[in-house]
Amino acid sequence: MRWLLSLLLLGYLSAVQALSVAGTRLLVVLEDGAEREKYGAFLGDLEARGFHITTEAPKSDSLSLFKHGERTYDHVVLLPCLAKGLGPALSANVLLDFMKKEGNVLVALSSERSTPAAVQSLLLELDIHIPSDKGALVVDHFNYDSTSAADKHDVLLLPYPTTLKTGVTNYFGGDGLIAVPRAVGQTLGNESPLTAPILRAPCTAYSYNPKDEADSAEDPFATGSQLNIVSAMQAHNSARLTVIGSAEMLQNAWFAEKATLSGKAVKTANRDFAEKVSAWAFKEVGVLKVGKLVHYQDEGVSKKVNTSVAIPENNPKIYRIKSDVTFAVEISEYDKTHYVPFVPPEGDAIQLEFSMLSPFHRLNLRPISQTANSTIFGTSFRTPDQHGIFNFRINYRRPFVTNIDEKRQVTVRHFAHDEWPRSWQISGAWVWIAGVWVTVAGWIAFVAVWLWSAPANTVKKTQ
Amino acid sequence: MSVQMEDNQLLKQATSPKTRGLLRVIILALIAGAAVSSRLFSVIRFESIIHEFDPWFNFRATKYLVQHGFYSFWDWFDDRTWHPLGRVTGGTLYPGLMVTSGVIYHLLRALALPVDIRNICVLLAPAFSGLTALATYLLTSEMVTSPSAGLLAAAFMGIAPGYISRSVAGSYDNEAIAIFLLVFTFYLWIKAVKLGSVFYGALTALFYGYMVSAWGGYVFITNLLPLHAFVLICMGRYSPRLYVSYTSWYALGTLASMQIPFVGFLPIRSSEHMSALGVFGLLQLVAFVDYVRAQIPNKQFQTLLRALVLLVFVVAFGGLVLLTVTGVIAPWTGRFYSLWDTGYAKIHIPIIASVSEHQPTAWPAFFFDLNMLIWLFPAGVYMCFKRLTDEQVFVVIYAVLASYFAGVMVRLMLTLTPIVCVASAMAFSQILDTYLDARKPKVPAKEEEGADVAKVAAAAVLPEGLRSTRGPVIGIYSYASKLTVVGASLVYLLLFVMHCTWVTSNAYSSPSVVLASRLPDGSQHIIDDYREAYQWLRQNTPNDAKIMSWWDYGYQIGGMADRPTLVDNNTWNNTHIATVGKAMSSREEVSYPIMRQHEVDYVLVVFGGLLGYSGDDINKFLWMVRIAEGIWPDEVKERDFFTARGEYRVDDEATPTMKNSLMYKMSYYNYNKLFPAGQAQDRVRQARLPAQGPELSTIEEAFTSENWIIRIYKVKDLDNFGRDHQSATAFDKGTKKKRGSARRKGPKTLRVE
Repeated sequence: MRWLLSLLLLGYLSAVQALSVAGTRLLVVLEDGAEREKYGAFLGDLEARGFHITTEAPKSDSLSLFKHGERTYDHVVLLPCLAKGLGPALSANVLLDFMKKEGNVLVALSSERSTPAAVQSLLLELDIHIPSDKGALVVDHFNYDSTSAADKHDVLLLPYPTTLKTGVTNYFGGDGLIAVPRAVGQTLGNESPLTAPILRAPCTAYSYNPKDEADSAEDPFATGSQLNIVSAMQAHNSARLTVIGSAEMLQNAWFAEKATLSGKAVKTANRDFAEKVSAWAFKEVGVLKVGKLVHYQDEGVSKKVNTSVAIPENNPKIYRIKSDVTFAVEISEYDKTHYVPFVPPEGDAIQLEFSMLSPFHRLNLRPISQTANSTIFGTSFRTPDQHGIFNFRINYRRPFVTNIDEKRQVTVRHFAHDEWPRSWQISGAWVWIAGVWVTVAGWIAFVAVWLWSAPANTVKKTQ
Repeated sequence: MSVQMEDNQLLKQATSPKTRGLLRVIILALIAGAAVSSRLFSVIRFESIIHEFDPWFNFRATKYLVQHGFYSFWDWFDDRTWHPLGRVTGGTLYPGLMVTSGVIYHLLRALALPVDIRNICVLLAPAFSGLTALATYLLTSEMVTSPSAGLLAAAFMGIAPGYISRSVAGSYDNEAIAIFLLVFTFYLWIKAVKLGSVFYGALTALFYGYMVSAWGGYVFITNLLPLHAFVLICMGRYSPRLYVSYTSWYALGTLASMQIPFVGFLPIRSSEHMSALGVFGLLQLVAFVDYVRAQIPNKQFQTLLRALVLLVFVVAFGGLVLLTVTGVIAPWTGRFYSLWDTGYAKIHIPIIASVSEHQPTAWPAFFFDLNMLIWLFPAGVYMCFKRLTDEQVFVVIYAVLASYFAGVMVRLMLTLTPIVCVASAMAFSQILDTYLDARKPKVPAKEEEGADVAKVAAAAVLPEGLRSTRGPVIGIYSYASKLTVVGASLVYLLLFVMHCTWVTSNAYSSPSVVLASRLPDGSQHIIDDYREAYQWLRQNTPNDAKIMSWWDYGYQIGGMADRPTLVDNNTWNNTHIATVGKAMSSREEVSYPIMRQHEVDYVLVVFGGLLGYSGDDINKFLWMVRIAEGIWPDEVKERDFFTARGEYRVDDEATPTMKNSLMYKMSYYNYNKLFPAGQAQDRVRQARLPAQGPELSTIEEAFTSENWIIRIYKVKDLDNFGRDHQSATAFDKGTKKKRGSARRKGPKTLRVE
C-alpha cells in the first residue's frame, strides 16, 4: 500500500499542473454519491490533474451546460445512469451545441444499463453505431479473463492499441493488458472521416446479446475488429467526443485488478489507459497550435530558407506572377503541461497548398528549425504564371490531433507595364528594331537626296 | 446667302458678319445651356448619385485613379471582382472616361476649386453634351452653307432623347464622352478631306485615339472612314486630298489606338479593323496608278493598270479571308455576328442576348427617341444626293450604316442620333430658309426677272436639279402660305421640345438604383432597397466577404457595398458566369460545393414579388439557366424549368427542378409567412404560391430589405460533425427520421482503416 501511496503522490506532483488547453471545468453526470464512489479513483486522478469536477445527477434542476449562451463547463463526462432519459438539459441537441462551442464529451456506456435516448441519437448523428437492444455486449472466447468471467467470456483482456496506421501518432500506447468488462461495442460509419477507433476488439470478438441468443448468433451486430471498445470522434472545430464501451473499465474495481489470461496471471492496466484516454478526450495531448505564420517575397537567390533567425515580419497582400516566395509557419504541440515542438509522425508531413479554385502548388513543409516549444516549418516556391486571388493554405487533419486549417489570402497580380524586359533585351526583336531604324534612316536619306537633287532638276528644265 | 441677306432691308442693320458671329456664339451657348440643364432632372428629382450599373464601375475606377495615380491605375489588378480569378482591370477597360474626370478633378484642384470626384462624375455627361452640341454645329456647318442648319442641328443634338438616354446627370458611362468624340472626329475628318490637310488628318487621328481610349464603339469610326474613302474611290473621286487625309489619319490613328492596352494589337489582328487596313493599301495602289496615269497617257496601259488594281484587291481580300480562316487574324466576335444576324446571339451566346441593350429595336423606339427628326431624316439624306459633294457622301453612308445598326441593337440608337440630327437639321433649315425669306419678287409681271430672282433664291438654298425649283414658283411668295408653313414648322419644333422634355423627365432620369413610386395622395415615395442592402453589406460583413449574385449587380456591389463579387457586368468570362448560373439553378446539394469552392460568403438575390418589381431575378432566371446550360448541357436543362405545357410557373404547378433550385428557394424563403396561410401572392407573376414554403439547409437568411427587393443569404460553413446540411437541419428541427436500429438491410459496409 505504501508504494501505491507514493506512486499516487508522485503522480499528483507530476501532474498537478497538467491542465487541459481547453479549460478545467469538468462536469460528471452520474446518478448519485454511491455511483461516484465507484469511479473514485478515476475522478480522483482527474482532479489531481487539475480539473475542477462538478458532479450532477442527470435530471437535476441546476444542471445546465450553457449560461447566457456560453458554455458553463469545458468537458462533460456522461456515466451510465439507471434512468432511461437524461432530461432536457442533456438532450442530443444540447450536447451537439456544446460540441459546436468546442466542448469535449466523454461518454461511457454500459451493457447493464440502457443507453439513454439522447446519447443514442447523439452517437447516431456522429456516425457511431451501437447495438440498439439493451444488454448486448462484446464477447471473446480467446481473450477473456478466466478469473472473473470463466463462463461468460465477457470480460476481455486486451493489449494496448497500436498505431492506427502509418503517419498517425499513437497517444494510447503502453505496456500491459486492459480489462474490458461487459463492453458495448461500437461500429463506425464509413462516411465520416472524423471518427477513429481508439481501442478495437480483437478479431475473435463479437457482439452478443445473452437475452436474444438466436438472433445475435445469426446476425450479429458486428464482429472482429469492426467492433470498437473505445472510439473517438473529433469535429471540424476539434471538439472531441470519446465513447468508452464499458463504463466498468473506469471503476475502481478494475483499475489494478488481478486477472488471468489463458492461465497466466496478469494485472490490469486500466488506470493508465483511462488516464491516456481521458487526457486525449479533454485535450491534454494531441493539440496543435499554429504560431507565427509568415510569407514573403524572396528578393534574391542568396537568401536561404534556413536562416530562420531574421525572417521579416511582412506578409504582403499582393505578389506578382513568377516571383519567388518563401513561406514559414510555427507549429507547436501541447503535451499535458506545456507546448513542445511539433514533429510530424514518420511517413507524414504538413503540406502547404497555394491554390486558386484548385491547388497550383502542394508542397511538403520541411522543418527548418526549432525553438523551445515550436517547430518552424517552411518552404519556398515560385508563384505560378496565373494571376488571381490565391490562398496559402495548410489543411492538416489527422486522427487524434486537432485540425489545422490556416488560410491566408493573397493576390497574385500580372506584370506591371514597366516590369517586362525592354525590347533590346530580347534577341528575337533585334530584327524588327533594325527594321525600324533602317526605315527611319532610309526615309531621312531619301528626303535628303530628294531635297539635294531638286535644284538640279529645275536647272535641267530651264535648260 | 450673303447676297440674299444684303437684299433684306429689315435685317440689314443687324447682319454684319461680326454681329452674326456674336449671335451664333450666344445661340450656341444657349443651346449648350439647354442641353446641360435638361439633363439635370435626375439630380433635382433624386440626388447627385451615380446611375444604373456600368457607371458604378466607372465611378469606382475613377476613384481608384484619383487615389492611386495614373500608373497604378494603368497596372491595376482588381482582386475585388471575379473572385477568385481577379481582373486585369487596367488592361481591360477604356480609360478615356476615368482619365478625363481625373484630369478635370486635378485641374479644378489646381484652380483651388476642390470638387468632390463624385460630382465631377455625375455632371461629366451633361457637360460633354454641351460640347457635343457644338461639335454637331461644326459638322453640320461643313455639310451645307446655310448657317441655320448648324444651329438647328446643335439644338436637336442638345435635346434629342436618343442621346439624352445615355447622358443624363449621373449616367457616368463611356458614351458620355464618346458621342462628343465621335461627332468631333467626324467633323475633323470632313475638314481633312475637304482641305486635304495633314494637320486636320493628324487632328482626326488624335481625336480618334481619344475615342479609342473612351469607348469600344470606336470601331464604328474605324469602319466608317475607310468606307467613305472606298466609296469615294469607287465613284472615281480619288484626289490627293483624300490620299493625304486618309493616310495621315490611318497611320497616326492606328498607332494612337494601339497605345490603349485593351486594344493592343487588335488593329492589325482582328477582322473589324481589316477594312481600314485594306482601304489604306488600296489607296496606295490607286495613288500609284494615278501617278503612273499622269506620266503615261496610254489608254491600254490604263486598262491594264485598272485590272492590276482589281487583281491586287481580289488577292488581298482572298488573303484576308485565308488568314482569318487559319486563325492568324482573329475572327469576328460574337457581338459582331449578332449585328448581322439578330438570331445568332440567342442561339450561340446567350450572355449577349440576355442584355436588354442588345435586343433589336422596336419601331416605336425610333419615334420615342427622335420624334419628328425621324421623318425629317430621310428628307435630309435625299437632299444630300442632289449635290453629293464628298462630305455629303459621308452623310449618306453614315445614315445608311447607322440606321441599320440602330435597327439591330437598341444601344446603337446612340450612334444614329448624331446623323439624324444633322440630316434633319439640313432638311428643316431648307424649309425655314425658303419660307422665312420675307422678300417678294419685285415685279411679278416681268416673267424673266421674276424667274431669275426665284432661281437665284432657289439656287442659293437648293442645288440645281430639283425639278420643282426650275420653273418659277408662284405660290410661296404669299404671306399666307409662308405663315402656314413657318407656323406649322414652329408647332413641330415646339412639340419636339415638349416631347424631348417629357421623355427626358419621365423615361431617362431615373437612377434605377433608387426607385420612385407615387402614393395614393400623389406624393413621391422613394424605394431605396438597393442602397439599404448594400449599406447593410458594407457595415455587417467582413471586408473580404465574397458576395455571389447574378452579374447584373456586380458593379453595384463593388461600388456601393465595396465587397468582392464573383461576376460582374464586365462579362469577360462566360464560364465563370455560367458557374454562378449553375449554382443558382441547381439543387442545394449541387450548389453548395460550388459556393464552397469559390469561397462564397453571401448570396444576394433580387426579388420583386412583394412590390411587383418586374426586373427581379426570377424573371431573369431563364437566362441564368440558359447560360449555365451552354456550359453544362447535361446538368442544367432549360426544359426542366417549364411545366409539361411549356409554362414558366412559380406556383403550385412549378416543376420540381424549379422548386428545388437555389434561386427559387432564396426568393420565396419565408415569403408565405407575410401572408395568411395559403394566401401568399407573387405580384410580379400574379401567382399564388404553395402553402408550404421552401426550406433551406446550406444557407441561412441574413438580411431582407424593407420591401423584400434584396435578400441576402449567408452560406453556412461545413457541418461541424461531418453531416450533410440536409440531415443536420432536419436533426436540429427534430424532424429527422430515426433509423430505428443499426441493423441494415443487405451486406454490411465495413470500415477499412
